[in-house]
Amino acid sequence: MRNPFIISLLALFLMLVLSLAIGSVFIPPAELWRVVTGVASNETFRTILVNIRLPRTALIALVGAALAGSGAAYQGLFRNPLADAYLIGVASGAGLGAVIAMSVKWPYTTLGLLAVPFAAFIASLLTVYLVYSLAHVGGSVPTTNLILAGVAVSSFATSLTSFLMLRSTGEVRRAIGWLLGGVSLVSWEATLALVPYLVIGMTTLILTGYALNLLQFGDDQAMQMGLNVGRAKFIIIVAASLVSAAAVSFAGIIGFVGLVVPHIVRIWWGVDYRRLIPLSIIGGAAVLLFADVLARIVLAPRELPVGIVTTLAGAPFFLWVLRRSKNQGLW
Amino acid sequence: MLRKTLILILLFALLTACAPQATPSPAPVTLTFTDRLGREITLDGPAQRIVSLAPSNTEILFAIGAGEQVIGRDQFSDYPEATKNVTDIGSTFEALNTELIVSLEPDLVLAAEINTPEQVKQLEDLGLKVYYLKNPLTLEEMYGNLELVAQLTGHEAEAATLIESLKARVAAVDEKIAPISSRFSVFYELDASDPAKPYTAGKGTFITQLIDRAGGYNIASDLAGYPQMSLEQVVAADPAFIILGDARYGVSPESIAQRPGWENLSAVKNGQVVPFNDDLVSRPGPRLVDALEELAKLLRPELFQ
Repeated sequence: MRNPFIISLLALFLMLVLSLAIGSVFIPPAELWRVVTGVASNETFRTILVNIRLPRTALIALVGAALAGSGAAYQGLFRNPLADAYLIGVASGAGLGAVIAMSVKWPYTTLGLLAVPFAAFIASLLTVYLVYSLAHVGGSVPTTNLILAGVAVSSFATSLTSFLMLRSTGEVRRAIGWLLGGVSLVSWEATLALVPYLVIGMTTLILTGYALNLLQFGDDQAMQMGLNVGRAKFIIIVAASLVSAAAVSFAGIIGFVGLVVPHIVRIWWGVDYRRLIPLSIIGGAAVLLFADVLARIVLAPRELPVGIVTTLAGAPFFLWVLRRSKNQGLW
Repeated sequence: MLRKTLILILLFALLTACAPQATPSPAPVTLTFTDRLGREITLDGPAQRIVSLAPSNTEILFAIGAGEQVIGRDQFSDYPEATKNVTDIGSTFEALNTELIVSLEPDLVLAAEINTPEQVKQLEDLGLKVYYLKNPLTLEEMYGNLELVAQLTGHEAEAATLIESLKARVAAVDEKIAPISSRFSVFYELDASDPAKPYTAGKGTFITQLIDRAGGYNIASDLAGYPQMSLEQVVAADPAFIILGDARYGVSPESIAQRPGWENLSAVKNGQVVPFNDDLVSRPGPRLVDALEELAKLLRPELFQ
């Protein structure tokens, strides 16, 4: 596949159209076109398209891009094919923050409704900070330390979350939905609130591509090639965590996208991080949009949490891709 | 590098360029209500196209004669029979199917406390009128809900008649139970996913209130909320009756007898383990009175010959 950017952008475009065209209510293509072109049309269809499908599509695309982009960066940073945003505590921290916020009855105001994503975001960043400071030894942050600290702190946060859920009486159902990756607060406000974090974070990640390439040779070699390893790692962790924390706090814990998409990109288009990260971002958006379309139609009129679909469909697909690639020694 | 960055930024710009549209201007005010969330709702007249987001709401609507006005209901609204012909809008435990709800063009969405404030906000943002009905804590409050839904839908007279007959039925039970001095102890099992520590209903719940009013007392009535009770605690209390609110999940008097340690309970030995329709007590609507009658007959069959 020669021109990866054109191919992936085409795939993304196709998924955007699909996501807008398909839903539990059938809108005839002619109607869709009339809404898009602004010709006077059915008010209900317009509301569905403009106020339901469009913000949802935008949110899902942003979240998918964030998870896959940060996943690619974490894999490069840890030089570990199993790494993603969740390894260093982004998800478990966010889960803990969300469940804490859910145990409080917030007033019915815009601010009160944003309390859960806000708490998830803060707790997620605090968890990553804790992991980072635990892993910090002398002047450097050894990868092994990061992974170990991440696993330990994540487990602790997860068990604290379970404890809070068991103790609470009313909010368990809501918390489970959140932890399964159900995108519950779909509105323009939520989508727009995500944009600044994601744009800053993802732009930074794209710019760290060269540094990630050097880091693949190991810390010492990278340093000899003139890279300030400590600073590069710090920037990558901050940017990737910012991006994934923002995504997780609005969309809940959506598994597998951050893991699968970078691998597929790597198998098809090689391991150059200067391409891998932007391609993972585009691919992540496309893949999550597809999963979301499935989530909306599989059990219609019910809507599944999209996290269930990504894991259920993602795992076998991933195995298939791995088998087809016949172990090309990409790691 | 720069080009790739630009492509991405452009992509985001495209995704977020379409701003939300203004909601339609409000119609002349005729009916104003304040709901559980402190939100004010105004209706041009009684609601004619209603989507119910909770089984209790659906049961209330049908009981007061507003069934014909219900055009959508959640997946778990299965009573009365006529709900089968109403559009199913899916489960409210996951993300709401807002598309389907909007496409039904309701003039009122009746939510309950099992729905989240986020769901209310979502529907409100789509220009729908949502009333968030308070969970009643007593039978009196349940009657209040009936009156309120009647005002929302224009069935005040039917609701008044219904409330009168419900009160008369409750009074009839009260009258039969009043002379009784001793009370049977009851364990109400809600969920035994962990058979060593089943969930039950505690202080203040309708289950406790109705068992009490039906001439029994709930052995969990000192515990808050919906607690788990260990087998040890159940054995210590040795209830005269075990009521199986989880009968629909396959729990039966036989399966209870097979649980290790349960065979020695008096209720098991005396055959006083009884399956029960939990919907009657878990849905705060008019069928709470059915629950009271059922419980009274179950605990005091001799009074209802």
